[in-house]
Amino acid sequence: MAGMKTATGDYIDSSWELRVFVGEDDPEAESVTLRVTGESHIGGVLLKIVEEIKRKQDWSDHAIWWEQKRQWLLQTHWTLDKYGLLADARLFFGPQHRPIILRLPNRRALRLRASFSQPLFQAVASICRLLSIRHPEELSLLRAPEKKEKKKKEKEPEEELFDLTKVVLAGGVAPALFRGMPAHFSDSAQTEACYHMLSRPQPPPDPLLLQRLPRPSSLLDKTQLHSRWLDSSRCLMQQGIKAGDMLWLRFKYYSFFDLDPKTDPVRLTQLYEQARWDLLLEETDCTEEEMMVFAALQYHINKLSQSGEAGEPTGTDPGLDDLDAALNNLEVKLEGSASTDVLDNLTTIPELKDHLRIFRPRKLTLKGYRQHWVVFKETNLSYYKSQDEAPGDPIQQLNLKGCEVVPDVNVSGQKFCIKLLVPSPEGMSEIHLRCQDENQYAHWMAGCRLASKGRTMADSSYASEVQAILAFLSLQRTGGGGSGNHPQGPDASAEGLNPYGLVAPRFQRKFKAKQLTPRILEAHQNVAQLSLSEAQLRFIQAWQSLPDFGISYVVVRFKGSRKDEILGIANNRLIRIDLAVGDVVKTWRFSNMRQWNVNWDIRQVAIEFDEHINVAFSCMSASCRIVHEYIGGYIFLSTRERARGEELDEDLFLQLTGGHEAF
Amino acid sequence: MGESNEDIDQMFSNLLGEMDLLTQSLGVDTLPPPDPKPPRAEFNYSVGFKDLNESLNALEDQDLDALMADLVADISEAEQRTIQAQKESSQNQHHAASLEVPDFSGAVALGYGANVTAVSVSQYEDDLPPPPADPMLDLPLPPPPPEPLSQEEEAAQAKADKIKLALEKLKEAKVKKLVVKVHMNDNSTKSLMVDERQLARDVLDNLFEKTHCDCNVDWCLYEIYTELQIERIFEDHENVVEVLSDWTRDTENKVLFLEKEEKYAVFKNPQNFYLDNKGKKEGKETNEKMNAKNKESLLEESFCGTSIIVPELEGALYLKEDGKKSWKRRYFLLRASGIYYVPKGKTKTSRDLACFIQFENVNIYYGIQCKMKYKAPTDYCFVLKHPQIQKESQYIKYLCCDDARTLNQWVMGIRIAKYGKTLYDNYQRAMERAGLASRWSNLGTVNAAPPAPSSTGLKTGTTQANGQIPQAAHSVSAVLEEAQRHAETTQDKRPVLGNHHPGAPRAPQLPKSSLPPPPPVRRSSDVCGSPATVPRAKGLSGGFPAAKPPPAGVKRAPVPPKRKENLGPPSGGGSGEQDFMSDLMKALQKKRGNMS
Repeated sequence: MAGMKTATGDYIDSSWELRVFVGEDDPEAESVTLRVTGESHIGGVLLKIVEEIKRKQDWSDHAIWWEQKRQWLLQTHWTLDKYGLLADARLFFGPQHRPIILRLPNRRALRLRASFSQPLFQAVASICRLLSIRHPEELSLLRAPEKKEKKKKEKEPEEELFDLTKVVLAGGVAPALFRGMPAHFSDSAQTEACYHMLSRPQPPPDPLLLQRLPRPSSLLDKTQLHSRWLDSSRCLMQQGIKAGDMLWLRFKYYSFFDLDPKTDPVRLTQLYEQARWDLLLEETDCTEEEMMVFAALQYHINKLSQSGEAGEPTGTDPGLDDLDAALNNLEVKLEGSASTDVLDNLTTIPELKDHLRIFRPRKLTLKGYRQHWVVFKETNLSYYKSQDEAPGDPIQQLNLKGCEVVPDVNVSGQKFCIKLLVPSPEGMSEIHLRCQDENQYAHWMAGCRLASKGRTMADSSYASEVQAILAFLSLQRTGGGGSGNHPQGPDASAEGLNPYGLVAPRFQRKFKAKQLTPRILEAHQNVAQLSLSEAQLRFIQAWQSLPDFGISYVVVRFKGSRKDEILGIANNRLIRIDLAVGDVVKTWRFSNMRQWNVNWDIRQVAIEFDEHINVAFSCMSASCRIVHEYIGGYIFLSTRERARGEELDEDLFLQLTGGHEAF
Repeated sequence: MGESNEDIDQMFSNLLGEMDLLTQSLGVDTLPPPDPKPPRAEFNYSVGFKDLNESLNALEDQDLDALMADLVADISEAEQRTIQAQKESSQNQHHAASLEVPDFSGAVALGYGANVTAVSVSQYEDDLPPPPADPMLDLPLPPPPPEPLSQEEEAAQAKADKIKLALEKLKEAKVKKLVVKVHMNDNSTKSLMVDERQLARDVLDNLFEKTHCDCNVDWCLYEIYTELQIERIFEDHENVVEVLSDWTRDTENKVLFLEKEEKYAVFKNPQNFYLDNKGKKEGKETNEKMNAKNKESLLEESFCGTSIIVPELEGALYLKEDGKKSWKRRYFLLRASGIYYVPKGKTKTSRDLACFIQFENVNIYYGIQCKMKYKAPTDYCFVLKHPQIQKESQYIKYLCCDDARTLNQWVMGIRIAKYGKTLYDNYQRAMERAGLASRWSNLGTVNAAPPAPSSTGLKTGTTQANGQIPQAAHSVSAVLEEAQRHAETTQDKRPVLGNHHPGAPRAPQLPKSSLPPPPPVRRSSDVCGSPATVPRAKGLSGGFPAAKPPPAGVKRAPVPPKRKENLGPPSGGGSGEQDFMSDLMKALQKKRGNMS
């Protein structure tokens, strides 16, 4: 053993004193001094430290961190010599898991313990396991932006911080479900609330906040984010992260494998949230029409998640989805057999008859709305001069099947119009129906909508459609209609539709709220039947089908070129983009890639494609490690299809994304 | 010895898997019995009618049998009720049909008179109710009566069946049917009955049966608007009656049955749509080089993800201005959500784009001779219109491309954006169907000439592929590939017929034991027999688990030879099948030798 002494107290072996601080890297921390030799094993040293401290405590998570070398001494059978450790080493004996604050894709903050000693890839995997997000390889951590932190300082204290630091996960097996959530969440009301936060979509953000948040104004701005990704092959400690730091958890690789609403409520929700913020903050551009669909989906999702709060663990209850499916089936059946149903003849076909004012826009006409007697039966709309003439031939009969129905409503102005664009062999004919009040409008509108889909008012969904329309109208009265005058004001009622929280700020500037509301509601028609998870999935799919989806931008300088350019990295290709104009110059697909190399000294990435196409560039806005990791990561993700169901091949991932340690 | 037995067993199970596949798909198109050569004098429509009944009642035939057995056993009150119900049903049918005549005879069957309909209806009456002879006459051999039903089933069950049957008949009677005159590519026409539940796919399958064509994926239903000079491919999932119902009564529109390689061009050469470098030569060269594996991965990437990828497509097109004959050049972009254009003085960033059209309510058509009719800059036009619009209207949008390649890219791109994954599913079904057909023909060949003719005599490039097929991974894609190759090469091969040496020796290097047979597309647990091999199989490997009663096989036996005549030489894809078959024969002989 080290520390053999003579009677005079001189050490006669080659032992020396090793000072170890106890705690995290606080220089003021208490320290213990041990007598060791070069042959001492780390395990023995650990034992001695614990003995010296003379405190009863679970030390199992503690390990030694060598500050100068920025390295954990985790190999307990290694000797100090093997580590090359000498008496001047500054060592800290501290826990490997430390609390961090995680900013989730839904922008909520969560405190939890993360491993500071494992490579980030594993640390993220265990975080995801705790949060019950499958496929952790798609996610990673970013440093929180510094400037933003300062700005937010005033708001920070108010924010609700969820705490999962005390939750311990049993290793190995997948967490079992208990009361519709992974068992470790059901321990306390607090953790349960945390699970709800994770698995349920958040309400729309305050439009004011939305306007204040920074948005990229150019491609260059979009490159900023990607310089902050942490290195997945090194541990948090090595990357200078301290306990209590804030990190962002985000989906890094835009290749979402096997999204399953039933097993992935948290993953689906967080992905939806990331997509939503991506669009709201204009990171990914979309057209006006697309934005309306996104807004309608957000509105629908928000409505469902709010109304479904009563005991319905959203998406996690398999029975619910089954029920949805069954209902859908039923609906399809009804639709399909509407005309063939045996009972059809027995039931009277419901019809609407009333005095409505009709306007037929034509060229060179000054005629306005005129009162007519209108009969709506099955999918046909007929109108007569007066009720007396009704048995005879109508002035016109229109089959509404396949027609476009556009609401033109202003509740405060008591205007309830239905614009119909009815196809006929000769073309489209336009007709406007003006109703007297909400109730009449709701019934006729519901009938028109069903008829446009080829269904009659006998359809089971008629009543609910009427109710939905009435609900919308009341919303407009309280929400969107009112806020038209105060576009900046946050919505008073939580339920009301404030369209400004659903669209990117540039649409806030472009449209008044009362212009947006009907457009969103119109788009909502098409998604109103979706369940929560379906709507989220639809949102994600629509996001994915945007041309600019999933491209991570980096400023690079190509070999032989003097100007900066943008390199876009997508899940299947690399894109060379002109920095100034934003035009795509060239695209290379990963499937044609032979190999890629990184010269860490001159920070250059060189890629060889089929047919001897060679590309080399140095990275300006982010380190070449980040580019390298992105490429390797996407290559890794593309191998998943083949290895379906197998354990994650971590070595392969690190092999594809790491490698720079060697230099 | 043991090994060879295993070989045989394995091959058999594979073979049975395929047979299963065949019978399954036959089950799907519900036209198993080949038409027992209707007398030539008979009108086309009546053939259509018969087939209709068969196709609709494939299951009910058996019900009918059971019912007949019951009728013979005892004449009960319930039976009376059933007959009553059926009478009603046929009356309904009559009623419904005569109601429909003015609407649809005019619309679809050109020059199809009301009296003809009446004839067919009366025939329907003759055909449908349960005179026992009916199914017997229809099928070459009666299906075996479902054993337990006739004697052991309880009366309640029988009653329930009858009620069910009656209900079904009632339902049936209300199903809208159209007689559709389909123009074939040889200028002849065929009339067939299409009921409102049938999709274009079903109608195609029906036509395959009637025409004995090679069933490749390019066959399609095609609608032509003579007046508007536009035309379009029916998508396989489209409901035919629904589409035709939009036609006006006096329409000159036509339905064609023909091959269009544009139909699934994107799945054959996805690179032309997804990796096109806007006509640059460099791109073109690499396109042609793309191998099957890369194509497959490109398709997988584009169509099998969480959401499909719409090809990136943009460029200047001419737009016909509403109601005028002038054309304006604009820069258009295709997105999943619709077609957009760049407004004057704006850039083509997403936020500046203006929506031109969304696809929800429009179909895409090719414009024909727009240069002449509308003074279009070129003849490469596509047209977007609401399916219900039948006359010239300002709501029909005409766009004109610079060349045929661009036109095809836009039309396909729009179809992908509009139909999404459905298009790919349709294609896979079509491939299955085509693969099946080629298998049939090859099986037929093998049965006719047991020492399997080799296709090594074929000099086309695809023969090399023969070696690949057996080695290919057991996946759907392999079969698709095979069928695709078949589809792509059938036409090239026809002229090569002379070069084909049936007697040429089989390539010897194929290892017998380790050879994985061509993978069946999907295997279900129940195993069915094949027409030719099952009896043989039964005789040989006595303990074979589940062989189907022979009648099923006999019933279908006439098909393969018929197909063979019409098919031409077996394709490269199919030759793998032959190797497999001959291997099987060899193994069988070997086993026979071992046993004796």
